[in-house]
Amino acid sequence: MNVKLYEKQLESSKEFELIIISDEVRAAVKDSGIKNGMCAVITQHTTTGIMVNEGLPCVEKDIEILLDRLVPYDYPYVHTHMLPSYGTCAGNSPGHLKSLLAGNHCIFPVIDGKLVLGHAQDIYFAEFDGLQRRRYYIEVMGE
Amino acid sequence: MIIDIHSHPVLLDVINDSPEKLEFRKQQFGVYKSGKLPLDFALKLMDDAGIDKTVILGEDYSADSAMPLVSNDEIRAILDAAPGRYIGFAGADPRKEDAPSELKRAFAELGLSGLHLNLSRTRLSVQDERVRALFQVCSDFGKPVMLHAGYSWKPDTPSSYSEPILFEDAFIDFPKVRFCLAHMGWPWWEETIMLLMKYPNVYADTSTVYMDSPTKWFRQLFSVSMDIDWLQNSFADKVMYGSNMPRWRQVRSMKGLKDLPLRKDVLDAVLGGNAQMFLGKETIDER
Repeated sequence: MNVKLYEKQLESSKEFELIIISDEVRAAVKDSGIKNGMCAVITQHTTTGIMVNEGLPCVEKDIEILLDRLVPYDYPYVHTHMLPSYGTCAGNSPGHLKSLLAGNHCIFPVIDGKLVLGHAQDIYFAEFDGLQRRRYYIEVMGE
Repeated sequence: MIIDIHSHPVLLDVINDSPEKLEFRKQQFGVYKSGKLPLDFALKLMDDAGIDKTVILGEDYSADSAMPLVSNDEIRAILDAAPGRYIGFAGADPRKEDAPSELKRAFAELGLSGLHLNLSRTRLSVQDERVRALFQVCSDFGKPVMLHAGYSWKPDTPSSYSEPILFEDAFIDFPKVRFCLAHMGWPWWEETIMLLMKYPNVYADTSTVYMDSPTKWFRQLFSVSMDIDWLQNSFADKVMYGSNMPRWRQVRSMKGLKDLPLRKDVLDAVLGGNAQMFLGKETIDER
């Protein structure tokens, strides 16, 4: 089995942002030369997520509203205090919890050298603690 | 104009051209897990918060450390790298013989706009002649002083040197110098607001979020511990927005203030109007 790992960078521009990365993943699969196998997309962070959904602004807004309802900005979170090991304040508990809900990775089939996505599916890098410079992995595995 | 009166440029890439310098600053400032902050990204963070200008504080404790935490020349370099976005305050270690002349150079040659002192870090009384000599330079040049007050997150900084009431004589003896009690002097915020009300040359900043979210913290400080009308009616012209960046992200600390039930004129004053008075017309006009 062959394994190819790609590390990608992006820069979020808002506290909450859904960034479509489908083309980057397709390009990595093509570049890998792997014909049949799996492709994993994995974020490196704990206040971001990797999600699949339909790339429509109305759907994206509903996702944002749902997550804000489940994880409000102002709430007596425990992770809200000075962190001695960091020397900075923990002010991003909503980001951690939204990351938990979104999940840190998605897996896709690779068939005949192509990423297999449903016709309505897009892959999102989900930012819950922006603005930040971020990294994620695309790992293509197979023959 | 929105001004962040209190930020520390210790992580900016402009002044951290080697891993050793960055590590020195992280250890000395106490931001152990943070990485280098690219200048263009720092400016995006300012834009995201709607901040027009940020005051960056020089810091010099080189009497007992390898180099200034952020030197005056490094502050100048940051100003030159981002014209119009930053206002630079000088550092000077009062324990060093050349501190007054270095401060004069920072004002006269480097064009810096004020002095930043942390007497908890230098363990000097505000009444020490070496400290007063620096206040005299500020008085002669018409420059304001950012005084660390209250709790400090830096290592090796006993708070007893920075209780706000200890500074009262300086406020009387140097009436031409505008002083800012950083961090609202927390936990001695009652002393701070007494000094704000009593002395026309005394200000305070809001870089004081040590627990909770900024929204909850400012609600507790300004509308539970105090009555919100104390700020609105008694010292609305004295409190300035300060983020304490990089300990708090600017947009978040500002949201905490915006969430307070303040009149618009008071919020505008806190977010920038008062800082313009503290900094002086000359500083605002020349930037």
